[in-house]
Amino acid sequence: MTRALVAIRGVSQRFGADGADVVALDSIDLEIPDGQFVAVVGPSGCGKSTLLSLVAGLRLPSSGTVLCDGEPITAPMPRKVGMIFQEANLLPWLSAVDNVAFPLKLRRVAKAERLLAARRMLELTGLAGFEDRLPHQLSGGMKQRVAIARGLVQNPAVLLMDEPFASLDEQTRMVLGDELLRIWSETRKTVLFVTHSLNEAVYLADRVVVLSARPGRVVDDVSVDLPRPRSFAMTGGERFGALKDRIWQHIKSAERR
Amino acid sequence: MRRHERLIVAAVVLGLFALWEALVRAGRLDASLAPAPSTVVESLIRLAGRPEVRASLGVTAWEVLAAFLVALPVGLLLGFLLAEVPLLGSLFRPLVNFLFGVPKSIFLPVFILVFGVSIPQKIAFGVFTTVFVLITGGIAAVQSVPRELITVSRVYGASRGQIIREIYLPAMAPILLESARLAMVFNITAVLLCEIYGARDGIGYRIAAWGENLQMPQLYAALVIVAAAAVAVNEALRAVESRLGAWRQRT
Repeated sequence: MTRALVAIRGVSQRFGADGADVVALDSIDLEIPDGQFVAVVGPSGCGKSTLLSLVAGLRLPSSGTVLCDGEPITAPMPRKVGMIFQEANLLPWLSAVDNVAFPLKLRRVAKAERLLAARRMLELTGLAGFEDRLPHQLSGGMKQRVAIARGLVQNPAVLLMDEPFASLDEQTRMVLGDELLRIWSETRKTVLFVTHSLNEAVYLADRVVVLSARPGRVVDDVSVDLPRPRSFAMTGGERFGALKDRIWQHIKSAERR
Repeated sequence: MRRHERLIVAAVVLGLFALWEALVRAGRLDASLAPAPSTVVESLIRLAGRPEVRASLGVTAWEVLAAFLVALPVGLLLGFLLAEVPLLGSLFRPLVNFLFGVPKSIFLPVFILVFGVSIPQKIAFGVFTTVFVLITGGIAAVQSVPRELITVSRVYGASRGQIIREIYLPAMAPILLESARLAMVFNITAVLLCEIYGARDGIGYRIAAWGENLQMPQLYAALVIVAAAAVAVNEALRAVESRLGAWRQRT
């Protein structure tokens, strides 16, 4: 068995002081093997994003531990974990290539070296030729490509994606989904991908983790046994529909409660 | 502005001055109220050549500069504090907002009582007037920093110092410069007002004297000098601002 690169063990997260505690996550256990593409879905407010911010080291769980490569995560680990958000969140005063090089700059990598790495990443994400554009000169999809390049520039083992395509139009979203799969097959990162879209989850992932409404618990862990490379034709197939339906039943019952 | 627009503007302005000149010469406009542009220019050249007028300009320039250099760090730091420390913010922001809207000239007698009619009095009054613009600007600048960019930098391992250098400063730069520019306008006005109200030197002092003697050509000439200086400072700061803030432009 491949070893778990990210291990989430007995993790609970409560918010708020003075008795009015909100339990966002309740005893989550997840073992994610190296190189797996995991989608996390669940009804709105189920703590999907909270789960990602725990793995990102942006907050500490109220109880339980999160491990990356066997090491407990207590602070951001920029060399092991890259993160992509719903909005590209590029620094608007930096060009595309400088944005991608930004994590390396924070680590004081020499300028020539970090620009070289950034250019290579922009090439990987299909943005060769756009290195010197400022964010406001790029389309939404291109900005998100820059953000992905920035997430990959330190060659982290884990890529966290928090609804990365949610603010894009459907066509761009589909194109970027395929792009992400191509990049993933070239780099073999472990991906933790939060999404609202069941289509996206089943189409992209090896495995879909379904969380319940607050407090978030793992209610299902679906292995997506569709062959790779994935193709658009599969989304109309019977197997695709069955998987989606199985996940939808959980979400529907959770939203109804 | 495009080239032909500039030409039209220049033509209209010149036309107005020509009309003014013509009306005065034809005796249709009272020269003691509105002396002809040619008279004002003549007076301007004469004044610019007089050493005591130049010395007065020097005094005013010094007062304006000193007040600005004191007010800039003080005002911005206070603004940052009020924006970043919630308790200080809720305590003092209403006071700042209240004083921001009050005409500062009400306090001029207080400054004369404390500092006497002196250069430090002008500087102190300039600082007092300017500092509110800068406090407000400092608060706005801090609030303009996108929180998400701070989260992103934290994910990528930025230290506190790096977050300040790499995120706060560049994000705040355009608003800081804009406030500095606005503050300078308030500052020049405050120092001049102070000099007109009571002074022993400075261009405002000269303006007051010319005004009392109804020496209109000199008064208008002084107006031209002050306006030219203010516009020059304003445009210089605006040039820096638009260079540093180019990324804000949406195209």
